[in-house]
Amino acid sequence: MTDPCILKTENLSLSYGGFTAVDKVNLQVKHKTVHSVIGPNGAGKTSLFHCLTGGRRPTGGRILFKDEEITNKSAHARVGSGMARSFQITSLFQNLTVRENLRLASQGRDGNRALVFWRSVSARGEHQALADQVMERLGLTHKAGVAAGDLSHGQQRILEVGMALCGKPALLLLDEPTAGMGVNDIPMMTELIAELGKDYSVLLIEHNMGIVMSISDTITVMSRGNVLIEGKPAEIRADMRVREAYLGEVA
Amino acid sequence: MLYLFQVLNGLGLGMIYFLISAGLTIIFGLLNFVNFAHGAFFMLGGYLCWSLTELTGNFWLSLLIGPPAVACLAWVAEAALIRRIYRLPHTFHILVTVGIALILQETTIMIWGPTGKNIPVPAGLQGVVTLWNFAYPTYRLFLIAFTSLIGLALWYLLEQTRFGGLVRAGSESAEMVSLLGTNIHRLFARTFALGVGLAGLAGVLSAPIRGVHPFMGPEVLGIAFVVVVIGGMGSFTGALLGGLLVGLVQSLMSTIWPEGANLMIYGAMAAVILLRPYGLFGRA
Amino acid sequence: MVPRSGLPGGSAAVVAVILVLMPLVLPSSTMATEILIFAMASLACNLLLGYGGLLSFGQGIFFGSGAYLSSLVMMHAGAGLISALLTAIASGAVLATLVGALAIRRTGIYFVMMTLAFNQTAYFIAYTLSDWTGGDNGLLDVPRPPLALFGATLADLSGATAYYVFVAVLFLLVFIATVTVISSPFGSTLIGVRENEARACAVGYDARNFKIVAFALSGAVTALAGALYAMLLNFAPLENIQLSMSENIVVMTVIGGTGSLLGSLLGAGSWVIISDILAEVWPRWLILMGGALILIVLFLRGGLWGGVESLMQRFSHQNKGHQGPDDAPDEKDESV
Repeated sequence: MTDPCILKTENLSLSYGGFTAVDKVNLQVKHKTVHSVIGPNGAGKTSLFHCLTGGRRPTGGRILFKDEEITNKSAHARVGSGMARSFQITSLFQNLTVRENLRLASQGRDGNRALVFWRSVSARGEHQALADQVMERLGLTHKAGVAAGDLSHGQQRILEVGMALCGKPALLLLDEPTAGMGVNDIPMMTELIAELGKDYSVLLIEHNMGIVMSISDTITVMSRGNVLIEGKPAEIRADMRVREAYLGEVA
Repeated sequence: MLYLFQVLNGLGLGMIYFLISAGLTIIFGLLNFVNFAHGAFFMLGGYLCWSLTELTGNFWLSLLIGPPAVACLAWVAEAALIRRIYRLPHTFHILVTVGIALILQETTIMIWGPTGKNIPVPAGLQGVVTLWNFAYPTYRLFLIAFTSLIGLALWYLLEQTRFGGLVRAGSESAEMVSLLGTNIHRLFARTFALGVGLAGLAGVLSAPIRGVHPFMGPEVLGIAFVVVVIGGMGSFTGALLGGLLVGLVQSLMSTIWPEGANLMIYGAMAAVILLRPYGLFGRA
Repeated sequence: MVPRSGLPGGSAAVVAVILVLMPLVLPSSTMATEILIFAMASLACNLLLGYGGLLSFGQGIFFGSGAYLSSLVMMHAGAGLISALLTAIASGAVLATLVGALAIRRTGIYFVMMTLAFNQTAYFIAYTLSDWTGGDNGLLDVPRPPLALFGATLADLSGATAYYVFVAVLFLLVFIATVTVISSPFGSTLIGVRENEARACAVGYDARNFKIVAFALSGAVTALAGALYAMLLNFAPLENIQLSMSENIVVMTVIGGTGSLLGSLLGAGSWVIISDILAEVWPRWLILMGGALILIVLFLRGGLWGGVESLMQRFSHQNKGHQGPDDAPDEKDESV
């Protein structure tokens, strides 16, 4: 743990045909910080996210996680090495209960060890214990037996983050956790992410500036596939180029 | 000369497979619906051919009436049943059409009996055409020419007409087509009837060569699946080339290793799956 | 297709009672045996379809190869009952792993089409190898050896009742094993993969492995059923490996109810009984099955067992006063 960074990208690039969505991005996420990536639409945030989660193979550069190269590792294998993600569009096991959702997520950390078909689930108590612990932290214990699809939208977003937590990750990758959330639910999510930043490293992609500014340790601003600037919230707020980038989008 | 004979046979067979698979693939493209009763409709076309030929003594009348009759039945099935299940997952589409196939198969046995029937080669197309010292059955030559014309007509319909434009646009986005003010229900019904009608047409055309029997549906369905897996689902070109490939392989193999002819085409399919999982012309 | 059951862990006990009652109620123990054999195949299909969301039209491959291979090792290698059945189980597992591994390279309808095409392949292989399989005539004179262990004969199975008891015991074991599989980490994850593959992948599962293992288990059980069927008939017809066999197994499973194991017994039972009663009177009874399939998709997705369950629920609600359906779900029982 001499390296202060948990995740590094080196000249990471992704192009689709002739279009370069991510252009030689160097990103460094430090241990136990909340690191946000912002930028106007089409800046390459989502493409970057896909590369980091393993959803897409980068067309150039490397991704280092805990000093190990994971550039071409499959999405499910990244969970085992300590990465977990949430989805921008809620992706849960809709017909299963909240508790079962979290239990499956906990069990996923062990990947193929879940292939044992000759033992009962209850024999693997540690997964259930972790699931219950996360459920408590999310404040969803009173909903344990409810099908995920029957939760309110805000609760589903919270559970979405909880699914990632169950992987006992070193790094949490959150893709617009407040997407589609009502104004009333947002403070709850903000508080949750801020708290998670104490225990985990969090990489956050977010549109809501209020959240980004209030909880981030570091902010990276992307524009047209490149890193425009990186710094603390106060520096970003003061930077003219950021304003231009966003104004450019409006115009 | 034997090879030329088999190549021509393969072309004819391949064009029949093309008609069946094109129907399957057009329906799938627009409706996102797999018709597991496709083989049963093919069989029905064959039986209608037999009945109409028996009744009127005229094959041409059965060619004129048979396919539209099958298409009409499909249109009714669409309106009464299939329309209700578009929104359900594929599994349910498959189960319902398997149900339809079972009903068609058993009804066929009730009407026409459990044993197969032979259909005489139509008057005027009997005998052979001799070119130098090569003789080839007239009906099979007619089959190649006629199916090629149908293929051209189908291409024209899909590429050059408003209906075809809607079908192609709808394959991309059904919502967009309904925004254009087109009655999407009607478009779906017509496309389903067209696709199934093509299976019926193929059934009529192949009846004088292969005869009909009530259990031919699943066999034909299997081959149509091989064709679309090889050619790529939703691809018209894929259906044509896949159909010809399967027809040729089957026909050529039948002289070399008759028992293995069918095995070969399924082997070809497995190879395509391994090497090009989305088919030769399929979209990922 | 939602796995639910009002019956908690006692379902194995219910099955045991049914197994005792079946030969008493039904006209013959041969018919009861046939029901159990198809119920076994249906259980295996249910594991794939009801729990894995995998609609396989290739179950006939495993059923047919189980029948052929067990018969062949008995006829040509002098294998006894147990080794013949083990051969069937192993061959089913291996073939299903192969078919599964190839077919799951694609999802959705392509997957289904490929399982169907593989069934045709297997059929043509069996047809071509007529020296071994008897081709169209089927494999005749399949023996039904006594149950023997290490040379000691434990039971003679040549009588219909004795064979029923043997099959019933195997069925109970398979049923308990299936319940165990479904409530295992594997089973619960398989349900997760069915529900949302992208999410399952994101929390760390390689969905392919789960699907392949599901296939292997399903193939093993289906092949066991096939072997038992050949011994029941003393005959392994080509129909065993035909597409229609796969279709029949799927139809039984869906009619009985996907996602509930007792449904498989109910589905196979209704299939065999209806076919037996109507075979003489109205040989076109398959029309009924086709119609039932359509009606079930339209009106009763839980199948017959789902219908029985909702009736039982309504009944118990009337008795107990009202209790919300979501009040006390226990995920351990949810899928049995």
